[in-house]
Amino acid sequence: MTYYITENCIGCTSCANLCPAGAISGEKKKRHTIDLEYCIECGTCGRICPKGAVEDSFGQVVKGEKRKFWKKPEFNHKKCSGCGICLDACPVGCITFGNPDPKSKTAYPELINLSGCISCGFCASDCPVDAIVLVLPAESESEAA
Amino acid sequence: MTRKGYMGKILMVDLSKGTIEEETLPDAIYEKYLGGMGLGAYILYNRIPKGADPLGPDNILGFLPGLLTGTGSLFTGRWMVVGKSPLTGTWGDANCGGTLSPEIKRCGYDGIFVKGISEKPVYLYIDDRVKELRDASEVWGMDAIETEEYLEKNAKKTGKKPKVACIGPAGEKVSLISGISTNKGRMAARSGLGAVMGSKRLKAIVLSGNKRIEAFNKEEMKKISKVCDFWAGIQPPFVTGPMTAFVGALMRILPTVLTQDGLLYKIMLKKWGTVAMNQMSPEMGDSPIKNWKGSSKDWGFRKSYSSNPDVFTKCETVKFHCYSCPVGCGGICTMEGKYTHTHKPEYETVLSLGGFCMNDDVNAIFYLNELLNRAGMDTVSAGHAVAFAIECYEEGVITKQDTDGLELTWGNSDAIVKLIEKMVKREGFGHVLADGVKQAVLRIGKGSEAFAVHAGGQEPAMHDSRNDPGFALHYSVEPTPGRHTLGSHLYYEMYQLWKVVKGIPKLPPLYFKGSKYNNSEKQAIIGAANSRYMTLVNATGACLFGAFIGAKRFRLFDWMNAATGWSLTPNQYMDLAGDIHTLKQAFNVKHGIEPKDMKISDRALGRPVQNEGANKGRTIEIEEMMSHYWEQFGWDQATGKPGQEAMDRISVGA
Repeated sequence: MTYYITENCIGCTSCANLCPAGAISGEKKKRHTIDLEYCIECGTCGRICPKGAVEDSFGQVVKGEKRKFWKKPEFNHKKCSGCGICLDACPVGCITFGNPDPKSKTAYPELINLSGCISCGFCASDCPVDAIVLVLPAESESEAA
Repeated sequence: MTRKGYMGKILMVDLSKGTIEEETLPDAIYEKYLGGMGLGAYILYNRIPKGADPLGPDNILGFLPGLLTGTGSLFTGRWMVVGKSPLTGTWGDANCGGTLSPEIKRCGYDGIFVKGISEKPVYLYIDDRVKELRDASEVWGMDAIETEEYLEKNAKKTGKKPKVACIGPAGEKVSLISGISTNKGRMAARSGLGAVMGSKRLKAIVLSGNKRIEAFNKEEMKKISKVCDFWAGIQPPFVTGPMTAFVGALMRILPTVLTQDGLLYKIMLKKWGTVAMNQMSPEMGDSPIKNWKGSSKDWGFRKSYSSNPDVFTKCETVKFHCYSCPVGCGGICTMEGKYTHTHKPEYETVLSLGGFCMNDDVNAIFYLNELLNRAGMDTVSAGHAVAFAIECYEEGVITKQDTDGLELTWGNSDAIVKLIEKMVKREGFGHVLADGVKQAVLRIGKGSEAFAVHAGGQEPAMHDSRNDPGFALHYSVEPTPGRHTLGSHLYYEMYQLWKVVKGIPKLPPLYFKGSKYNNSEKQAIIGAANSRYMTLVNATGACLFGAFIGAKRFRLFDWMNAATGWSLTPNQYMDLAGDIHTLKQAFNVKHGIEPKDMKISDRALGRPVQNEGANKGRTIEIEEMMSHYWEQFGWDQATGKPGQEAMDRISVGA
């Protein structure tokens, strides 16, 4: 039950370059394949694909989108307890603890590498208290509208 | 991909042969042994040959996350290291937090087991694709923190930072009181398992996986976690640090005690960490003083004030949360001198290097905390060894000639620091103490056993068994003797297990202190429930402090069902835990251990009785309690060995 690359693939390699699990292989300009053993179902291949050549486990084509319109996590510190589950869930190591709150000395998670984020949403889905939502980055919001 | 909370595979590494093999385990194993310590017990019982040398090639060292680690539950980020203990010869385990636990699962395994002995120092590197033993000659000799920093930087050049567990020089020198370190100073310290890793010449394991950890019903997991998070978040203002001493004194003076709600302790943990107990514990009689000889009379308010809880929060720069912990009892502190910062010392460390040695120099404690963390040596056992040596010196059993010129008197912090510096290097007199008090007695002789307090070789922690008969029981009867994290009367109060488990005693809201001491059968029933529950906590990778907030708020049983898709009742889980407990006892019997020999030393039982302090006049009738406890598991009442019926329940022969 993972993602699948269809014959529409032109071998541009962008999915293989971005896959955080290194699960995609193939020669340049030839159809690529996903190794089911390593795929972590983040869907990044589909989001980056310029040809709509990636299907999800239900056979639906994953909609590709320009990377600047990919949603990023936003952290709600009122709900967050600083438990660190999101840091561990991020497959690309984009989340880290920021400077601690001066009063409580609790450090809250923040996105340190905006461009490295692959918008997989694992941080949001794994957060046990739903303190993370994925939103369009502020600079892309006006453009998207 | 399995959606049952566990990964379904383990990794077996043979250092002698240099092989690394994956094994797939059937669901039935998880249904019976759950994971974490339970799975470890299953593998080690069946695969370590009878009578194996703990420091030889046949011993197996296992690193295990919990069944619930990474499934969306809270307080479940602890990992367990298991093996045959070289310190006691019994089943050995040590538990540690930090961020390593989920990484084992992300590499695809519910356990990594290592046997054999490598010819030269190696470390084990695992990521999604690569599994290999690598040369560790560059890091051999480095301290635990330097090792971790070096391997983080060099073992993997791209992507996510790897997680490291390693030994320091104490483990390399096979000190029987050495542990395994992670997150630059958090330690799986007990049972001497660092020595096992050192004997195998395995310097570190380095993990960097990306696999998803699934749960059967993720929404239900979140629902239960939100309840837990709500209670963990309650944090009203609380008294100041030194005022905790007066709370402790009040508890000492009053003849009655309120059955404690663990939420109170949680509030203290979130505010200060375990150091919250630094002044309260000695006052109420929970902390042994002066090598179990003293009391609050020797270690009064003025002495303990130097290590009052506020001292630690003042220099704390940031809270340290283990993976999936909403409380964050840990912290990073700044300090002056050779080291600039250190993990906030734990209560056990402060008292074992402080009141236990009559040392009120808190700066020395900060320094020793970092020194021992870097060396990879257990602070509790080190404190015990030092206090034992001091008493030997004060009583004239050893002299300055034996101690390399050190004036080992009570509270001489300079001498204590120098002695521990020698212990971690195994130099001179330090070598005598570097393997714990049991070995030190053998090396010193001359009647020094009168000053040695241990259970089967394991030094107990800073919780006085005369103040809580539950500690006396668990120090003496557990397959892992001498351990304070497995149960006590106080823990039972805080678990509030009777609210979810049927057929166990419900405690009244207020009771006379003396009532704890005169009903050994009831204490044994409570003790058995504690052991079972703690087995579940250690099988799921959960934290004792999470369990303290109460079974209705920390819903371990519900999490287990939601993560795995099973539908067992709390009582059925407690029965499974009883079988795992029997398996560990059977492990000990297989290796020639006589359970009754594991009883804690007389001094910790009030023999002779103390004449002053909170525990004045108290003696624990341990033998009767041990016998009743064994009966609870179907073990022989006289010998503590599992009976035929109990043995039939544990499957053997994998």
